[in-house]
Amino acid sequence: MDAISLMESAANGALIGLMYSLVAMGIVLIYKSSSVPNLAQGSMTMLAAYVVLAFANSAGAPIWAAISLAIITMFIIGLAIERVALRRLAGRPIIMILMMTLGLEIFLRAGSMTIWGGTTRPMNLGISDAPLFLGPLLINRAYAFGAVVTIAMFGFFVMFFRSRVGVVLRAISDDYTAAWSVGISVERGVALSWAMSAVVATIAGVLWSSVQGVDQSLAQLLLKGVTVAVLGGLDSIGGALLAGVLLGVVEGIASSVLDPLLGGASRDLVDAAMLILTILIRPHGLFGRHDIERV
Amino acid sequence: MCIERGEIFGLVGPNGCGKTTLTNAITGFYPPQRGRILLNGRDITGLAPHYVATLGVARTFQNLALFNGMSVLDNILLGRHIHMKPSVGRTALYWWLARSDETLNRAAVEDVIDFLQLEGVRDELVDGIPIGLKKRVELARALAAEPSFLILDEPMAGMNQEEKEYMARFILDARDERNVTVLLIEHHMDVITGICDRMLALNYGEMIGSGVPADVVADPRVVEAYIGGAHVAR
Repeated sequence: MDAISLMESAANGALIGLMYSLVAMGIVLIYKSSSVPNLAQGSMTMLAAYVVLAFANSAGAPIWAAISLAIITMFIIGLAIERVALRRLAGRPIIMILMMTLGLEIFLRAGSMTIWGGTTRPMNLGISDAPLFLGPLLINRAYAFGAVVTIAMFGFFVMFFRSRVGVVLRAISDDYTAAWSVGISVERGVALSWAMSAVVATIAGVLWSSVQGVDQSLAQLLLKGVTVAVLGGLDSIGGALLAGVLLGVVEGIASSVLDPLLGGASRDLVDAAMLILTILIRPHGLFGRHDIERV
Repeated sequence: MCIERGEIFGLVGPNGCGKTTLTNAITGFYPPQRGRILLNGRDITGLAPHYVATLGVARTFQNLALFNGMSVLDNILLGRHIHMKPSVGRTALYWWLARSDETLNRAAVEDVIDFLQLEGVRDELVDGIPIGLKKRVELARALAAEPSFLILDEPMAGMNQEEKEYMARFILDARDERNVTVLLIEHHMDVITGICDRMLALNYGEMIGSGVPADVVADPRVVEAYIGGAHVAR
């Protein structure tokens, strides 16, 4: 293993990691706004990719129009999930809500299998396959594009949580009762967080399916998303960004070193090890609030 | 039960008699099974809690409900929520569209901080300050909403004599200077008799005595509910 190819793995790993951050961002958004750990983010990402394809292929819309329509559709689906599945659970034990989001994850994955089947379909964004040259390193264009979009989304949400609406959402996640008592509509805030998260899922879904195609395996991004979100600290958007890069680089290097020895499973192993070690050693993550571990 | 405008109305009763339940029914946290709740002649029975808050009803909680991840200042600012127009567009154009609004809200909050003497802790994280001050921050958040009706659920629980006297003074001043009608739930009888205009005693959901505090606390049924029957005879 020479230094150049190791650096190449690390650089591409960092970009892939930023795309993991985008999935994690959806989880962090909901956690930061309502203290709900969302285990449905993986299949929301998958669903969004199918919705884009539905607009692009069945309705024949150009890809950028299909993405815009899918963003609007997913926003509404996010609102609907809160209204139908979560509103009556507000204030109930967190374990019930957690199980509900897991149920949603399974439901969406199985539902997409019923409607669209399991064959992998391509998502073509018109990004060239030719690599970018960064000095001696070859960089994947799709990953680079995904990383740039992720950083832009990160900037937006950092600003958002400083706005009045963002502060109100943070207040809701701190204490539902207190939020109600000062006149905040907790239900509306939680619905907004799910809708925004569904929009983030759409963008993640488009980027990831341009790399690996559209099928149910997109839902497995949940694992990456959860690991990155926990590692970064469940309520920290900046944490999700940095943790994504960290996980991506470690994964990239580990897989280029270990894959020949282990037969290709090293990415998921690294992933699981990171998740388990974070929870054992630093439950509130790198940048999370300390009291998360008490929840 | 009826509370007059401008009154400080005391509510007492043994544990589990329904004081907090009554509060939750008024503020919309639980819809009542029977009966109606009128606020300034308007029926507010069963309205959502956040909507009741916009009608000028503010409250504090027996076991505190503060935004622990935020500073004292942010907590009190959130008390202004019903006076803010939460539009992302306006916030994005903050410096020219929303500025006067923001200035107004900030001024109102500084006023409350001044009133409750919280200058010393205004930038502290609320999680880290002592419980007596937390109670005061909660009162500040409630007052920041400029409510017409304020419900205080055991604002002096766990306080020492000096802190209790401070709190009693704040409640009197809130009524006198800010025209707030107050419903005060309290176990400390000296406070109730000291600052309340009228009061009501509850026992297992029943009203067992109401009127001027001096009369109510002398009522044998109230004494029995509170201290127990055997003590009355002695």
